[in-house]
Parts: sequence; C-alpha cells; structure tokens
Amino acid sequence: MFLALREIRHEKLRYGLIIGMIVLVTYLVFILSGLSYGLAQQNTQAISSWRVDRIALNKDANDSLSQSVITKQAADKVKLTSHEAYLGQTGVVAKAKGQVKLSAQFLGIDRDQLIYRRVKVTAGHKPTKANQILVDDSFKDNGYRLGDKVTLNAADGQYRIVGFTHNAKLSVAPVIYGSLGTWRTLSHLTADFQASGIASTRSTFKAQGLSTLPLSKFINKLPGYSAQNTTFSFMIGFLMVIAMVVIAVFLYILTMQKLPNYAVLRAQGIPAKILVTTTITQALLLVVAGLAIGAGLTLGTVLLLPAGVPMSFNVPLLGAVTGGILLTGVVGALIPVKVILNVDPVSVMGG
Amino acid sequence: MPALALQHVNKVFGHATNEVTVLNDVNFEAVSGEVSLVIGPSGSGKSTFLTIAGGIQTPTSGSIVVQGQELDDISGKARDALRLNRIGFILQAYNLVPYLTVRDQFTLVDRVKPKGNLNASALRHLLEQLGIAALIDQYPAELSGGQTQRVAIARALYQNPDIVLADEPTAALDSARVKVVGQLLHDLAKEHNKAIVVVTHDLRLQEFADRTYAIMDGQMTLN
Repeated sequence: MFLALREIRHEKLRYGLIIGMIVLVTYLVFILSGLSYGLAQQNTQAISSWRVDRIALNKDANDSLSQSVITKQAADKVKLTSHEAYLGQTGVVAKAKGQVKLSAQFLGIDRDQLIYRRVKVTAGHKPTKANQILVDDSFKDNGYRLGDKVTLNAADGQYRIVGFTHNAKLSVAPVIYGSLGTWRTLSHLTADFQASGIASTRSTFKAQGLSTLPLSKFINKLPGYSAQNTTFSFMIGFLMVIAMVVIAVFLYILTMQKLPNYAVLRAQGIPAKILVTTTITQALLLVVAGLAIGAGLTLGTVLLLPAGVPMSFNVPLLGAVTGGILLTGVVGALIPVKVILNVDPVSVMGG
Repeated sequence: MPALALQHVNKVFGHATNEVTVLNDVNFEAVSGEVSLVIGPSGSGKSTFLTIAGGIQTPTSGSIVVQGQELDDISGKARDALRLNRIGFILQAYNLVPYLTVRDQFTLVDRVKPKGNLNASALRHLLEQLGIAALIDQYPAELSGGQTQRVAIARALYQNPDIVLADEPTAALDSARVKVVGQLLHDLAKEHNKAIVVVTHDLRLQEFADRTYAIMDGQMTLN
C-alpha cells in the first residue's frame, strides 16, 4: 500500500488519466445499464403492478394483447374466479383543452375484479363511473390535473381524470385505466366482445379455447421488448469486454514500465510478494476510485435528467457491472505477475 | 572466518561459439572490519563479480560463502532475506525509487524490515556526514548525480548490513566527495566491524582500502 499510494501521489497526471479513463468507462456502462433497465421497466411497469402469473389471449393474436380480442361467447366458456380479471387494451391519443396531446395505452378493466383492486392511486380516486379515468403520473408531469376533461382519439365522449397512479407504463406509453365499456367504444367494438385478454394470478390457469401463456413469455412478446433488451444487452456486454481489455492493457503497460524500479528493489532484497501486492493494490485503488467517481457522476446525471428519460437502476445488474470492472483491474494487474516474479536485478546493474 | 568468500568461481555466458567467460576461477575474501577494493576497467567482470557475491546471480561453478552460509544451500527467498538483512547494495545506476522522496526511501526499508535499521539520530548523522541532510524531502529527479549516489549509499547503510557491496560508489563524485565517501566506508568497516567490498575503476579509493584486488578479463589477483 505504501509504494502504491506514494507512486500515485507522485505521478498524479499519469494516474489521473488512468482513473479518468476508468471513470468514463464506468459512467458509460452505468448510464447505459440504467437506460436499458429503465426502458425495460417502462415496457412492463403496469403489468408488474397487477402481480399476475398468466395471460389468456385470442389464439390468433400471436401472443400480443394489443392484437387480441375475446368474444363474449369465448369468454363465457372460461370460468372466472376472484383470481382472474378481464383486460381491454387499445392505443389512444389523449388531449385536453390547453394541454399537449399524449399517446397512451388505454386499459379497460372491471371494477369488481383484481386488477382494479391492485392498481394503486397516488392522488384522487379510482374510477367509479364509465366516464372516469385513472391516469399515469406522467400526465401530471405534462400539466394535466385532477378534474381535467380528456378526449380519447376522435371519439365524441369526454372522460374526467379522477385519479393518478404511479409507474403505470405499458410498451413505454403511459396507461389510462377506464372501463371495459369505454374500451369497446374506443375500439369500435360491440357488446359481443368481452375483452382483449384475461389475466390470472394462478400459475395453473388455463382458458379453454384461448391461448394461455406465462407472464414472462407474454412480456417477451411485447412489441419491440425482446429486440430492445437484446440490443442493450449486447451493447453493455461488448462495452464491458472492450473496457476490460483496455483497462487490463493500461495496467499491464503501467507495470511493465516499472520493472527497472522493481529490479532495484529486488536487488535490495525486497521480496517479490511485496511488489506483487503493491501492483494489485494499486490496480484496485485506481479501479475503486474510478468506480466511485463514475457512480457519483451517474448519480449527478440522474438528478439532472428530465423526468421523461427512462432511467432506472437494478442493484444486481449494477453489482455485476461493478464486480466486472473490479475483476478487470485485478486481472490487468495479475497478467504481469510472472514478469515481476522473474524480474532480473542484474538487468539494472552496470557493466 | 571471512564475512564473504568466493572459491573457484567461474561464470560463463552464452553457448558453444558464443561462449564468454566473464569470471575465471575467482577466489576472493572479504573480512569484517576491512575495506576490500576490486579494481578493474570497464567490462572486466566487476559487476558480475558483485552480483554473484551478493547472491543476485548464480555462478556457473564454484561456491559463495556468506558468514559461513553457502549460498548454494539456501532458497531464493532465503537469499532475498540475506540481502535485506545482511547485505547492503550500492548500485551503479537506478539506485533510488523515483517516486519516493529521500525520506521515503528509508521509510520503505522500515516497512519491509522493521528491525535492525539505524535509529533516527544515527541516520541524521549519516546524512549530515554525506552532506545530504537538507535533501530529505527531495525526489531523486531533483538531485544531481552525486547527490543521488550519496543518498543511495545512505540507503544501503541505513539497513545496517554486515556486508556492504558497492558498485562504483564514487563514479559521479568530485574528489572532495570521494574522500568523504571513502572515509565513511573506511570508518564503517573499522568502527562498526563491517565487511566493505567496493568494485571500481576509481584509483582515488585505494588509500581507504585494506586490501586491493585487481580484476582483468575475468581473472582476479590480490595485490
């Protein structure tokens, strides 16, 4: 530690640049993983809030809620318990006088079923009438207020915002909860149609005549979700690998430059173990400093970012990223260990 | 018993047609309380002799005995310990760690070898004797060649070794400093019963030596 700290203190520019590089890599990886996780969350936040296990859809809907319509006749064949709930989904554009237009996902739900019960209200109350809606907090961020009258698509009716709910996003769009009747109106469907799908909290739930799929599969089938996640995963993965190689190479070069000094110390009888420990300690100090500053910068960025940017952090993912970068430092320092152990003190003795 | 003895030591580099004999049947003894000088021109094998005597390099044949202990019989780690505790090296080049101040050069020794080093007042006296007490917070890059060499001498002596092996310790010094260093090594041998071995081509050191060896083309003779 003594040699490691003294060298960093003396070679401020050199070590500052290396720490700077680790900071940038860390910052980039943290921000990308935050955006990736945040975007993934915005695809599924509403679904997660229902806490259901399975979804039943029309067999021809290709496992997509937005493409599915269940007729009343088909719905009647499914025996619903208190663990199931109908869902009607359609994309809408919401507008109110003096407010910006917002693209949203309308979800029609039944007031007597579990999804209605499980939705949490942050302000106002849940809809109790057909012309009432509960909307995601992002409406509030865009200037909408309780009591605002909203038109949905080009439909004639107006719907009053009676409540706000937090983190209700589906396919990266804010959710509007309303009645199944409104869903039919917005989808131009008659009373012969019951819902888009049936959600169930039972892992054994099966709907006769419908396609029943587990929640994980349903989420992966959300439009664009898998492609987006795979893209981000590859980006982060490649970035990590490149970062690891760059950091490891830097630390290797750094150690190789110090070999003449190490040769002198070996000639003086300083055990090789101390030199190896110094090298690894120094690498860890640099990486930990880089990680800490990178994390601080990320935190600062999150605080400065507008609310609309989907940034969210997952502790296990961050832990894996941090562990990976730390491991990189150790590996980079370990590669030249053999050279340190075999450093020849004779190389620095004069002729 | 000599503090350091080399018996029939040979060192050959290369193979077959490229074979070069650097040390040829070298016999040498350094006794506690004496300064032994090994004088020879550049390329005569002085440094090879010194590295072999200090256990940094192994001979092709022959034996090295340090305070009754044959180096062939001990492990690499034990040789490290021997160099750290018994032998002080004054190297010709790259003597100091560039990112440590003069003070920290001594602190490093304390960290690796906490016991048996000079105490604070003895160190201060040594630094004053060598004229480098004012340089205690300087980095090696801020020192002249002569100052660097003197710090390196102080660093080696700070370990309070029984044997001091010095490679051209006066190469960068003017005549006045040569006298100071020569006298210091002489006093160290006499007053503290150290065995001092100096390899050099600086004949000015001869007046401080108790015995002088000459080395030429790998062959050593006692004058």
